[in-house]
Amino acid sequence: MSRTGGSSSLRRVFHLEVLKRTEYPEAIRDLITQLRQMPGVGPRSAERIALWMIQSRDDKPEQIATAISKTRAQIRPCKLCGFFATEELCEICRDDSRASDLLCVVEQPTDILPLEKTSAFRGQYHALGGRIAPLDHIGPEDLRIQELLDRIARENFSEIIFALAADVEGEATTNYLVESLKAKPIKLTRIARGLPAGGGLESADELTLYQALTGRTKL
Amino acid sequence: MLTSLRLHNFRCFEGLSVDIGPGLNLFLGGNGEGKTTILEGVCVLLRLQSQRSASLAPVVQTGKKSFGVRGRFEEHELEFRYRALRRQVRFDGVEQRTVGEYLRLGRVVSLANVDIELVRGGSDTRRRYLDFLGLQIDNAYRPALRAYERALRARNALLKSPTARPREVAAYDAPLIQHGQVLLRQRAELTESLAPLAGQAYERISAAREKFTLRFVPGASADFEGDLERSHRESIRLRQTIVGPHRDDLELRIDDFPAAQFASEGQQRGIALAMKIAQADVLKKSGDKKAPLLLIDDIFGELDPERRNALLDNLPPASQKLVTATAMPWRDEIIADIIYELCDRRLRRL
Ligand SMILES: [Zn+2]
Repeated sequence: MSRTGGSSSLRRVFHLEVLKRTEYPEAIRDLITQLRQMPGVGPRSAERIALWMIQSRDDKPEQIATAISKTRAQIRPCKLCGFFATEELCEICRDDSRASDLLCVVEQPTDILPLEKTSAFRGQYHALGGRIAPLDHIGPEDLRIQELLDRIARENFSEIIFALAADVEGEATTNYLVESLKAKPIKLTRIARGLPAGGGLESADELTLYQALTGRTKL
Repeated sequence: MLTSLRLHNFRCFEGLSVDIGPGLNLFLGGNGEGKTTILEGVCVLLRLQSQRSASLAPVVQTGKKSFGVRGRFEEHELEFRYRALRRQVRFDGVEQRTVGEYLRLGRVVSLANVDIELVRGGSDTRRRYLDFLGLQIDNAYRPALRAYERALRARNALLKSPTARPREVAAYDAPLIQHGQVLLRQRAELTESLAPLAGQAYERISAAREKFTLRFVPGASADFEGDLERSHRESIRLRQTIVGPHRDDLELRIDDFPAAQFASEGQQRGIALAMKIAQADVLKKSGDKKAPLLLIDDIFGELDPERRNALLDNLPPASQKLVTATAMPWRDEIIADIIYELCDRRLRRL
């Protein structure tokens, strides 16, 4: 056997032993695998979190585990708008100081909070749970569109504002809904798209500029 | 100007590092040594797309999951990493959310033997030719092209679905028309700037009496919406959208005869070259007015000395050039700043 062949097989044995010695017990490895399923958690963070959980001197990890089960049992989608709720209706839908004749349609329940933070809108919301996206096999029947139409037939809205994304699928979904609603005596609007406030043209990326240009309004 | 290039798991190269000179860089080597791949590395680095294939998946070295390219262009450090579901673009070490600023930097024209497909091949080759230029000179080209392609794919998926979905198809009409009209206009304008330059370039390199003309043939009229409506029945029957910029084409004629059928092979090569020279001329006139980097792949061998010299004379002199060739019986004719020899995946500077 040549010297290089000998040293490379030696290296292989050594390498295997090193790997074996540094591995965690199966239980820890399982925990790391579980943690890695969480969004934004890579292998390094998963390992750090797992070790913290195991080595923690108090019961903080157990508190977190309880919080997870408790929250999951408690939180459900609001029956009316789809936002996060602990009762049948969410806080927004139960608030009767809000305008009852304005409805804002969004894609996801998570889109509601950013709009709320502006305080520019004090009406009702409806989250569709996504958008019509044939390439992802999502059709109108997969979204809360029937619920929206029922709600509009039942309640008395004077204006419906569409606040869906300004991309192709968002546009198509807005068109689909507008087509279903245009026979009704309700004002249908969509939020303006455009340049971020406080930024000049040179600081906007090409997509924003393109959308601002293609969605321009008449003066 | 590009000063360095590094490839990692890029086609046949596990790792390769190249210093690039300011003027003409010559890469010599036999077939299959990877000369074209070095040029492809430059194209992918500067344009985030390959001049050889529509998709970047085949660029990943066999058995590997990702590839990387790095390089220095003027005072900027560029880096691009590709894996199946993730692309990472770094500009001066900072990861980019959008590619606009990165792509504004290096502009490229590729000349290769396969360019003859511009004359002989299908219309997709000619649309890619327009897109390759449009993406380099118009900031609104990329968003329009991507949005149109997305709307078209979604709409065609709906037309192909086993149950009819007319209301969803109709919902995609507006974005298809809106972005399609932008794209139609952009491509018509590109052709308008290319056509005279391509005609002149043909005249200069061929030294012939025949005339080459280039004309845009749009896949929809100015009334795209009306075209879509009128073709509705037919598109339901064929289960696809049959009008729109995805049907755009360029009409190439030699003395008023279609070049694909009536031009000789020599004339066809001349047309392909003229079209690429026109691309370089348009780039030189637009944006920062800098001459584009030229990737010239193995075409000198196919040309007679006269055409070869005519080509060299007609390329923007200020352009940085990367040229590949197999053997070089005519080395003296070319003044190269750096000559590399590629053998067994290794570069040797001569
Ligand atoms: Zn609610």
